[in-house]
Amino acid sequence: MTKDFNIDDISNLASIHLEEKEKLKLQKDLEIVLEHVDALKNIDVKDEKIDIHPLSKVLELREDESTPSLSHKDAMKNSPETKDGHFVVPPSIE
Amino acid sequence: MNRNIPSISKLNNLFLDKELKPSELFEQVYENASFTESILHAHLELFYDEGIENSKKSDERFLKGESLGKLDGIPIAIKDNINVYGYKTTCSSKMLSNYVSPYDATVIGMLKETGSTFTGKTNLDEFAMGSSTENSAYGPTKNPWNPDYVPGGSSGGSAAVVSAGSAVASLGSDTGGSIRQPASFCGVVGFKPTYGTVSRFGLIAFASSLDQIGPITNTVDDARIIFDNIQGYDPKDATSIKPEYTEPKNKKLKIGIIKELMQEGVSEDSQNEVNKVTQLLENSGHEVVETSLPLTEMALSVYYLIAPAECSANLSRFDGVRFGLREPASGSYEMMNKTRAVGFGEEVKKRILLGTYALSAGYFDEYYGRALKVRSKIISDFQKAFDDFDFLISPTTPSPAFKFGEKTENPLEMYLSDLCTIPANLAGLPAISIPTGLSNNNMPLSIQLMGKPCSDYSLLDLAESIEDMVSFNHLPKMTKGDI
Repeated sequence: MTKDFNIDDISNLASIHLEEKEKLKLQKDLEIVLEHVDALKNIDVKDEKIDIHPLSKVLELREDESTPSLSHKDAMKNSPETKDGHFVVPPSIE
Repeated sequence: MNRNIPSISKLNNLFLDKELKPSELFEQVYENASFTESILHAHLELFYDEGIENSKKSDERFLKGESLGKLDGIPIAIKDNINVYGYKTTCSSKMLSNYVSPYDATVIGMLKETGSTFTGKTNLDEFAMGSSTENSAYGPTKNPWNPDYVPGGSSGGSAAVVSAGSAVASLGSDTGGSIRQPASFCGVVGFKPTYGTVSRFGLIAFASSLDQIGPITNTVDDARIIFDNIQGYDPKDATSIKPEYTEPKNKKLKIGIIKELMQEGVSEDSQNEVNKVTQLLENSGHEVVETSLPLTEMALSVYYLIAPAECSANLSRFDGVRFGLREPASGSYEMMNKTRAVGFGEEVKKRILLGTYALSAGYFDEYYGRALKVRSKIISDFQKAFDDFDFLISPTTPSPAFKFGEKTENPLEMYLSDLCTIPANLAGLPAISIPTGLSNNNMPLSIQLMGKPCSDYSLLDLAESIEDMVSFNHLPKMTKGDI
């Protein structure tokens, strides 16, 4: 199962750049964990359903009413860069 | 009361009787913090100015006979992954080193209504991922019982401040044991309520189907008082429930010892505490019987697929755009890759990668889907167990606190320290750790009780009766005047 684990592909999917030295350590650690979780393959789950809430509760929706929320100014103030009330990012078309 | 700081009820009586002022208590607690922090590093930030100002407002309320209740004037520490308006919420990560919260978490708003004061924000494993606080980007917290040992994690700072007397109580968060395991290592009480009874709004999400806020305290009654003031339905948290709390049918309780948590891999020390408490319970007329929950042995594997999968989704928001760190780069994609490389520590990267893999095309059913199905089976096993038993008992941790660096080489070694606590998170159960004794090297030992969903108050009642029977009255080395 773990032979398919390619750290370059996964770090790319996760958008995390990894240094070569870091890759070796993480690959080793992740293989240990994946080997451990392999034990789940032996459990019969054929008829088992999936619950989103651990107590099988149906998630309640709020009333569709406008309530006070974070102001535009407060929502922007932790951003590394803003301009005219917008978030600024480096070019996304390369 | 079992420590150098009186219980919340006793402090409240002292305030009401005008024998102590809230501001005097705050000064005392702050002095304790100033005294111990250079060694323990349990608080990341202390809120002296606002704390003393608020405690003086409490002074006035008590003077006028207008106190707001038992938590009025009580200094509480807050884990640094819970938002407090106007203060930093770093999650002990470089990623959020400059993040200032623009709003209060629901639990913080509720505590402010009670008149309690905040001592400050406490250290944790980065984004609550870890069992020792060794993963904090700002350095580890030390255990007040012996600074060579870890305080547990991820709420290590929240447990250490209560243990050392630099807060009367604290809030932590528990995803796989992060309240109970550090409480156990630091010789204090740690309570994880039923999933959904306490709002998660304003808690920085790690694994949303498992995360739960709860109190760390000196006594079970303190935990009850705090829980009472932070529980309740919150429309801002989609997983919040409207709890209908239950009581056991009989006064004579039937309690099950989980066999799978009393075998190889769990130290003799830890097992002995359960046996000691079992004897006391039997002497009080309760029935205690061994029971088997075989899938408990799979809980760790299930957890280490579900929690990383949820964390990989939750932490995708840290991309250098709306908040937190941004590394300079010529393009957006490069900026995100670099920001996440620099902002996250090794353990967080490991879990994001693991979760990304478990959710990736072609592997979803094999890993995440299968883990969710085994989780459902574990939940069914607990439901069946609670048809027979009122409560379940086990050790909180497989061993007492370990030394720094002892479990950092192999990730499984560290993950196994949550062996006994993870099942309650998977099944959404209330669970509590209470200190019961000391190991040969004078480190605290404890037991864990679990109850069926929404049995929180009766679980606390049982825990309190055990607390009374055990009379754990030891103090850590690192309290004021004894360093």
